[in-house]
Amino acid sequence: MAEQEYTVASDSENTGEEKSSSSPPPSLPEIAVGIDIGTSQCSIAVWNGSQVNILRNTRNQKLIKSFVTFKDEVPSGGVTNQLSHDQEMLTGASIFNMKRLIGRVDTDPVVHAAKNLPFMVQTLDIGVRPFIAALVNNAWRSTTPEEVLAIFLVELRLMAETSLKRAVRNVVLTVPVSFSRFQLTRIERACAMAGLHVLRLMPEPTAIALLYAQQQQMTSHDNMGSGSERLAVIFNMGAGYCDVAVTATAGGVSQIKSLAGNAIGGEDILQNMMRHIAPQPQEASSSSTAALRVATQDAIHKLSSEDNAQIEVGDKISKVLDRSEFEEVNEEVFKECERLVTQCLRDARVEGCDIDDVIMVGGCSCIPRVREVVKKVCKKDEVYGGVNALEGAVRGAALEGAVTSGIHDPFGSLDLLTIQATALAVGVRGNGNRFVTVIPRNTMVPARKDLFFTTVNDGQKEALVVVYEGEGGESVEENHLLGYFKIVGIPEAGRGVPEINVCMDIDASNALRVFAAVLMPGCSSPVVPVVEVRMPTVDDGHGWCAQALNAKFGSALDLVTLQRKM
Amino acid sequence: MLSSSPTSFAHPFLSSSPPLSPLSPQSRAARISPPLVSASCSYTCAEDSPRLHQIPRRLSTATASLYEILEVPHGATSQDIKSAYRRLARICHPDVAGTDRTNSVSSADEFMKIHAAYCTLSDPEKRSVYDRRMLRRSRPLTVGTSGLGSYVGRNWETDQCW
Repeated sequence: MAEQEYTVASDSENTGEEKSSSSPPPSLPEIAVGIDIGTSQCSIAVWNGSQVNILRNTRNQKLIKSFVTFKDEVPSGGVTNQLSHDQEMLTGASIFNMKRLIGRVDTDPVVHAAKNLPFMVQTLDIGVRPFIAALVNNAWRSTTPEEVLAIFLVELRLMAETSLKRAVRNVVLTVPVSFSRFQLTRIERACAMAGLHVLRLMPEPTAIALLYAQQQQMTSHDNMGSGSERLAVIFNMGAGYCDVAVTATAGGVSQIKSLAGNAIGGEDILQNMMRHIAPQPQEASSSSTAALRVATQDAIHKLSSEDNAQIEVGDKISKVLDRSEFEEVNEEVFKECERLVTQCLRDARVEGCDIDDVIMVGGCSCIPRVREVVKKVCKKDEVYGGVNALEGAVRGAALEGAVTSGIHDPFGSLDLLTIQATALAVGVRGNGNRFVTVIPRNTMVPARKDLFFTTVNDGQKEALVVVYEGEGGESVEENHLLGYFKIVGIPEAGRGVPEINVCMDIDASNALRVFAAVLMPGCSSPVVPVVEVRMPTVDDGHGWCAQALNAKFGSALDLVTLQRKM
Repeated sequence: MLSSSPTSFAHPFLSSSPPLSPLSPQSRAARISPPLVSASCSYTCAEDSPRLHQIPRRLSTATASLYEILEVPHGATSQDIKSAYRRLARICHPDVAGTDRTNSVSSADEFMKIHAAYCTLSDPEKRSVYDRRMLRRSRPLTVGTSGLGSYVGRNWETDQCW
């Protein structure tokens, strides 16, 4: 590969438009490829005309370690770079776990957990992006999670282009359920930097749902449309995130009933075990820490099939771990898995006994305790065997890529659809410091809902619309800030008189737009032009924005929900 | 991304009668009446675009009952309703109905209507309330869930031939 192909557009560039070397002829729809960017492993797949084909790198690997090494002039990622042993990734020169860092500010506990990794994650704890750097020739070279991800994606793209012998531009990516819209924009940014155009960002379990819908349709093709609906729980736990979905499937259509997710995964289990084995903190980039990490990881893998595992690190640590000890140390992680599945079932309004299939994917789904917990909540003895735990997500993404590219399959294998639901609620700040939900969690997408607000002060001529997203916690602090804008030109009137309509619209590609209009009683059309804002507008997830707004405006431009007498 | 072209600005607030939230059934019906006239026009003008030929020309939702929107008879079983919903989803969902801006907006609107009809008719309680209301009225009601006010209102704008 030519060297310059590895260059990545600058971080400030928002679009990958100019980067695409050659676009497909307009008459032929380009089939979008599916990419599963995992915290620890990535894969890329495409619909080849009759089935999903997972692409391989030159070393014939389908699952590619997600990391980028900044050793030489040109950074190289896991697609092209062969590590001679696992410890080589842990010298400080390689950045990994990008998915746990992207779009997070330095007050985030997930970022703080990453400070135990061998590369530099520096936090000032003021709500800005953390400083991340790789150790190159004894110097810290700064980078960003987006840049690292973009370098990796460029390698993936080149690998796919070589393999498919065509330009690759359109992609469908899988993302964690718990990602905020701000984090999704960072993923899009990384894709744009790598010359990729994102057609869909699919929550991971919904990609599995699409694959499951295809399998169900194939096995029951003759009774298609008869409405025999199957309820499935999809549990996906990888290195960085745990996601759950409940889906109702029939006739190739999978309707997502509920989603739940959290940033908890194999990385947490690994760090818990490392602390358990070597309680005294050590230099994160030292070779002994690296050796401990590798040995602990191996032991955890072994404990999935065996009752105990031996850990030897140098001459300092020699220990036999048994499975019950492992389960005790990670009790909190397993409890959180249980909570997520329980919440997801409750949100979907289904009981464990209604569930037809339990699908478990992701690396952590191999852990016996995780399987036990999920089976217990779903009241099932068996786990559905039709989905490969490590390949399911990328296969689903490739199917979605074909479906959204408008590809038609004569045998009906692509007569599929996932009807998505919102993973997080969106709303605005109102009634003091409250989060007022406009579109609740688990609403079918596309969605459009509105609420009426009014002013809090007499003669208030302006109002601030501050948009948040989250699990629906009562105060705004429990949610992510997405952006804000001001409505001006409210006619002078007593408080509570002007009607401010805030409407939110989420389209099929999950883009959120917020509309705000000012209405006066007795007047049917808006008195000033309606404002339409594409969210999110915050550009660095700055944790201080909310405080800054508060300091500047106080409650002068506040809104309250409009209470009306019937 | 696929959406957000400034030329297709459409705002959801031009619905006429007093905006209420939550809306009583009566006010809801009153609120949606003006946009309905233009709602039917959207299908004719949208049909100029080639992709939409894949969507069979459906009943104008202006006068359609929820049963007509889902294309099922009044006595349909819940199984029939589910199948009909899925069948229509396979045709009208924006993911399958086309990817360019014009169609994705109209198919999103179309699909939201289908979904709202499905939400009412698939819930036995909501369905019986709806059936009773339909009996009482000479004119069938089209809207079943809250939050639809602005959505219908927005149609009034989107559905103009621009």
